[in-house]
Amino acid sequence: MAMTKHTELVLDRRFDPKTCRHSINGQVQVLHCHHYATLYTQLANDCGMLDGKRLLAEVSEDTFYNILRDYYAANNISNIEDRISIAEQYFAISGLGKMTVRCASPESGEVELSTSHVDQGWIKKWGHKDQPVNFIGWGYISAMFSAVFDKPTRAYSVTETQSIVSGAETSRFEVVAI
Amino acid sequence: MAVRRIDESTPQYEALETTIDRKKIIQALSKLEVVSNEEGLIPAFNVFVNQMPAKFWNSFADRLTRKVGPDLIEAAEWLLVNAAHECGYHTGYGIITSEEWKSVVAPMITRIPEDILHGAFAVFTAWGWAKSEIVELIPNERMVVRAYDYYEADTVTYGIRSRPCAYMIRGVAAAFMDLAYGGPYDPTGQTGLRTFKCVQTKGIECGDEYGEFVVTRADEN
Repeated sequence: MAMTKHTELVLDRRFDPKTCRHSINGQVQVLHCHHYATLYTQLANDCGMLDGKRLLAEVSEDTFYNILRDYYAANNISNIEDRISIAEQYFAISGLGKMTVRCASPESGEVELSTSHVDQGWIKKWGHKDQPVNFIGWGYISAMFSAVFDKPTRAYSVTETQSIVSGAETSRFEVVAI
Repeated sequence: MAVRRIDESTPQYEALETTIDRKKIIQALSKLEVVSNEEGLIPAFNVFVNQMPAKFWNSFADRLTRKVGPDLIEAAEWLLVNAAHECGYHTGYGIITSEEWKSVVAPMITRIPEDILHGAFAVFTAWGWAKSEIVELIPNERMVVRAYDYYEADTVTYGIRSRPCAYMIRGVAAAFMDLAYGGPYDPTGQTGLRTFKCVQTKGIECGDEYGEFVVTRADEN
């Protein structure tokens, strides 16, 4: 099915001189670098006793689910194509990479990243790795599907099937409803 | 306990005198808009930058440190501080060699590296990490930073925490001292990094009026 991008993400950027905090669309935002993101990712990866990978993915899911839901509600966005387009754009403006949703339904989907902050940051810092590291992306995709299809969080299982960090040209994720 | 009197001849007093105009730096650099490229990446300051909700970083640190249990909490905290320490060292170096720094901050510098440190905390404030400044500085030895507002304190919305949690400020404050007094910048992080350490002695999240961060030599007990 051919898809047209309908809606452009609108960003309300503000700086509060009293607190010296920056916000986008009412959410306090901070800049960090790939060193910070990959060290958090490494910490999650190494923390097997708590399933740190899932912990980081769930934090990402919870954070971005609320942002996307709030945005859709505030801007009356109910169309699936528009919702997906907004989510792809938000991923990009966050500096997390270029995401394309290849297909999506309430039951399943496929997502591809042609660039990835976490993967490319990991390679820049430590080189390639044979296992996926983009737990932030996993959580984001889960949040996106739940927000797009009006489901609660933890409604989807996300599996990274190929990874830029492992040498693939793109990262791919498969999504299925739980 | 010996009391050290502060007068104009003490190094910490002299090092607090600076030609850095914080207000001007904050006004200029807070307006900088960070925009990703067509690839959805933000390459800047020799690193990839991300622009994410503060809540994301806070939630991971909070859930992790609450779940690891008492035996591992210090190790978990060290790793969170270390993430910021490496970030502060590499990105900090990228910032103090950037065009933005050269145009806004560099013309104000008269004393190196102390003015660079004061300038770095003005940038740290302008870009929303923490509204912070140096309140004590003994060159190559000790620095005390106060933060009057910082996103890491948002982990508490009611009451006070028993342990402070500004891991990011701790790491970055130590990194800035590494850059100032730890020798030439080393992109591999093998030397220069972790020559200083930081402890948080006060926190807004703990009921204090401000966060306070004491940076000392890493080899000091």
